[in-house]
Amino acid sequence: MSETFEPKIIAFVCTYCTYAGADLAGTSRLKYAPNVRIIRLPCTGRISPMFILKALQKGADGVLISGCHPGDCHFTHGNYHARRRWMVFRALLDFIGIPPERVKYSWISAAEGVKFAEFINSVTEDIRKLGPFEQYTQLIEQTQAPASL
Amino acid sequence: MSIEEQYRTRAKELLSGGAVKMVIGYGKGSNAKRRRPIFISSADEVDRLVLDDACITNLSGYLVSEGLLSDEKRVAVFLRPEGIRAINILAAESQLDAEQIVIFGFDVAGNEIKALKGINVEEFSDVIDSIKEGAPEAAEEELFEKIEKMSPQERFSFWQEEFAKCIKCYACRQACPMCYCRRCIVDSNQPQWVNTSSHTLGNFEWNIVRAFHLSGRCVECGNCDRACPVNIPLRLINHRMAEEVLGAFDHFAGTSKTQEPVLASFKKDDSETFIL
Ligand code: SF4
Ligand code: SF4
Repeated sequence: MSETFEPKIIAFVCTYCTYAGADLAGTSRLKYAPNVRIIRLPCTGRISPMFILKALQKGADGVLISGCHPGDCHFTHGNYHARRRWMVFRALLDFIGIPPERVKYSWISAAEGVKFAEFINSVTEDIRKLGPFEQYTQLIEQTQAPASL
Repeated sequence: MSIEEQYRTRAKELLSGGAVKMVIGYGKGSNAKRRRPIFISSADEVDRLVLDDACITNLSGYLVSEGLLSDEKRVAVFLRPEGIRAINILAAESQLDAEQIVIFGFDVAGNEIKALKGINVEEFSDVIDSIKEGAPEAAEEELFEKIEKMSPQERFSFWQEEFAKCIKCYACRQACPMCYCRRCIVDSNQPQWVNTSSHTLGNFEWNIVRAFHLSGRCVECGNCDRACPVNIPLRLINHRMAEEVLGAFDHFAGTSKTQEPVLASFKKDDSETFIL
């Protein structure tokens, strides 16, 4: 390849932990890959699997999801519910043939700016290795509705 | 006396005594091999009830028809074990009061009809437990295993070919007793989560979200996949999901009317390996 592939990654994060962690990464002047577009939500419990599907269908190459560590949820147990949902959803994606490696999960607290920066870098690297998410590209073209973000 | 006759007699007694206001059962269909749901509210009509190995539809979904149970009167219904599980789920999800349901339980082995003893849903827990113990197999076990063995790309192509056929008629949803939402996610257009046109991309969205919403709730009655006009093997996806919740959370949908819905509950030590 002449040019390195720059994946487009959508991150769904909770505002109380991971978003604050991202903020910390920023205020600490940590550098990390610019491939991620962050969408802030109140809680991981608010991250409907529909969001993940939509992101992939609108042309994302990877999705990243992160929230408070178990036990730390601002709403006490939103992340426990989310965890169950992800377990089931992953199995579903796998059975349908959408590689679950395209969707990455993590717990990152408000104090973990460094973990945030490293996580973004490693996910970007992983998705770059997987290459563009072509399975959907053809389907998106068929709809003649160009992917827009 | 055949089970059909026994159940007719019981239906007659219940209706004439006013113990139930309606019996939902099977009647003759458009040909000898088809049965259609019938709704009987007078004792004179019980002879229309048919019970044989062609009675396969899960009738439990009719119980959540708008207003049917709101007068607190009781309704009797013919149910196979899957249907009985469905009653437990509907009760656990507060969609009906199990006390109002009188069950005419039956099962089919080969072409033999077997009566299941009991009236209230609690009385069938042994039957349900034994299905769980028996580790139910997918309806088309061979195909299921073949899909499991494929690479993700092959699986994707398999489903792409299947979903490309979908015409988004939503018959699978209408036929499913668990799809009782007044406003389904596909009807929601602010925002439009699922594309309305039936291009393959939108069909992926639809079929994935359908399967996800039924994870841990589906009883594998097969209503959806029989209703599908283009024969998409929907039951295979449902089965994979049932397997997942059984393996990960030891959850078998519909074992009791107080069972916690698996995706509306959690354990602090649910164990996963993929969250970094
Ligand atoms: S998804 Fe299909 S098999 Fe499962 S309960 Fe609904 S109709 Fe029955
Ligand atoms: S019944 Fe079949 S064709 Fe109709 S919406 Fe469901 S999957 Fe698609």
